Amino acid sequence: MAIISGGFSCSAFRLALPSCSAPSSRLSVSRTRSSGLSASMNSGDEQRARLMEFPYVSGPHRDLMVELLSSVETRLGSSLRPCNLPPDVRHFGHPAGTAYASIQLRPGRPSSQIDFILGGWIHCKFPSGGALNITSLSGYLNSSTDAPNFRLELIQSIPTSLVLVLDLTPRKDLILHPDHLKTYYEDTQLDRYRQRLHALPEVSPYISPSLYVRAAVSPTAILVSIDVGAGETTAIEEIIQDHVGPVAKELLQFWMESCACTERCVGKAERAYLAERDRLIKNKTIELDLGSSFPRLFGQDVADRVLTVLTEHYKK
Amino acid sequence: MAVISSSFSYSVFHFPLPCYSAPSSRLSLSVSRTRLSASMDSSDELRAKFMEFPHVSGSHRDLMVELLSSVETRLGSSLQPCTLPPDVQHFGHPTGNASASLQLRPGLPSSQENLNMYQIDLVLGSWIHCKLPSGGTLNITSLSAYLKPSTDAPHFLLDLIQSSPTSLVLVLDLTPRKDLILHPDHLKTYYEDTQLDRHRQRLHKLPEVRPYISPSLYIRALLSPTAILVTIDVGASETTNIEEIIRDHVSQVAKELLQFWIESCACPERHLEESERAYLAERDRIIKNTTIEVDLGSSFPRLFGQDVADRVLTVLKEQYNK
Repeated sequence: MAIISGGFSCSAFRLALPSCSAPSSRLSVSRTRSSGLSASMNSGDEQRARLMEFPYVSGPHRDLMVELLSSVETRLGSSLRPCNLPPDVRHFGHPAGTAYASIQLRPGRPSSQIDFILGGWIHCKFPSGGALNITSLSGYLNSSTDAPNFRLELIQSIPTSLVLVLDLTPRKDLILHPDHLKTYYEDTQLDRYRQRLHALPEVSPYISPSLYVRAAVSPTAILVSIDVGAGETTAIEEIIQDHVGPVAKELLQFWMESCACTERCVGKAERAYLAERDRLIKNKTIELDLGSSFPRLFGQDVADRVLTVLTEHYKK
Repeated sequence: MAVISSSFSYSVFHFPLPCYSAPSSRLSLSVSRTRLSASMDSSDELRAKFMEFPHVSGSHRDLMVELLSSVETRLGSSLQPCTLPPDVQHFGHPTGNASASLQLRPGLPSSQENLNMYQIDLVLGSWIHCKLPSGGTLNITSLSAYLKPSTDAPHFLLDLIQSSPTSLVLVLDLTPRKDLILHPDHLKTYYEDTQLDRHRQRLHKLPEVRPYISPSLYIRALLSPTAILVTIDVGASETTNIEEIIRDHVSQVAKELLQFWIESCACPERHLEESERAYLAERDRIIKNTTIEVDLGSSFPRLFGQDVADRVLTVLKEQYNK
């Protein structure tokens, strides 16, 4: 069964999130019946298929996400437990039908170094027309390793512009632990991926409005805006296919092999440090990312339900 | 007496550094004689030589002088005099292609009588001037100030690096003392509640300004989320535009940030646990030593020759690790 969960950092970006008004009580009752019942009747396979459709994004964008999630399934599947999110958390939406989302969270097996893998997509229609689409994949490791986490998000709010977040996020303070900087970021020459994308004329640095996000990402993080201006929409697709795709796949591959699967010897004191730092990271993600945007995207009720379940998983 | 010490982060920038060959023994003999004359300069003369900022333009020089004077005026009573040897306060490549001036003032030791004084570890100010093989010149002016482990407030860092008349790299930051992820209150107190980011945003609005991405991952990791790390490029137009941008924008932002740092960071003593002080002390030790290594350690030999570089860096490391 599949997988994935991501950090939806939509709230951390300067995207005007639509404020969807709350539906009338009659409407919400009927919606609850239909969405609740039919969702719970969907099998896990159907849920996974719904995730993997990535129904609202373009060919190369969708292909990339499917390929990345499949890689995770193939390479890490044996280290992961099945997704056991309730059906109405695996797939949910605003009662008014203005936004939908699909997420998968697979916890790591106790023997693995993986805490959990989270993947999914969000689609939200703007009142003015057009839509916001976010697809994401993130991998959190546990305190038996100090290797970086993985984070990927593609955020598209207009056809000619895309924000890309792609990073191996540090587990330690890189100043106090220069060996960590050296091992994972310097010796690996990770910066060449960032440099490759920055060489494209359509690419410029994206400066997140969230100071926390700026502080959390690594020195080699790819945090960019890809703008094709008034040209054809297909140009974004080409850039995803020719540049974003290969870089994302190589970084995921590196992460799976050298971070998730390479055993590290971590002492007791270090484990405690990592566990505490990871706890803060996960709490912040819920608070900053999801906690602020989900109510606006999906309405308070749905948001509360989803966040309560996710918070339980993040705090395990 | 003045003050100041700075971190030359320019080795971590994309500037082709000249590689000067070692001088002949005859030449080095005459250089030693020159060095003698440097040691005969009084400390006042050396300070004056420093404060001239002889190789940079009007508004650039004015800014540095103003900042250093602020430090002297506001913080002077918490600082010891500069006791660097004369040939570390002023030095250069034996061939004369590069010269530099440093002033380092350590903070006074904390004591019962000085409970209200500024919590300064050291202040370093400097300039470097170098003729490039291509015919142009490289000028770097810097000011940095480190605080003691008795406070967890940010350090101060300013560098202006100009390698052409139409282009300037600016580094201006209140560098964090703690891991901002493990200490979200630190992020909130010093960077969010203070709205420090407005300074960065102000400069980024200028069309001539764009982000500068340091080739050093250490520098990228060191700087705060609100750091100003930019290239200011006026293109093929007159030199005076860089002047104007310094005068009308860089200057104001730099002065406001220094003002804020003096009032809200350098001054109040924070009541910290022993474990927190130990954490800060260790982290600061790494910052100071790594900065010397990354900034100066890689560029000084190329700029000033191995002998001069070794002499200066040895002294600086001693001062930094007192």
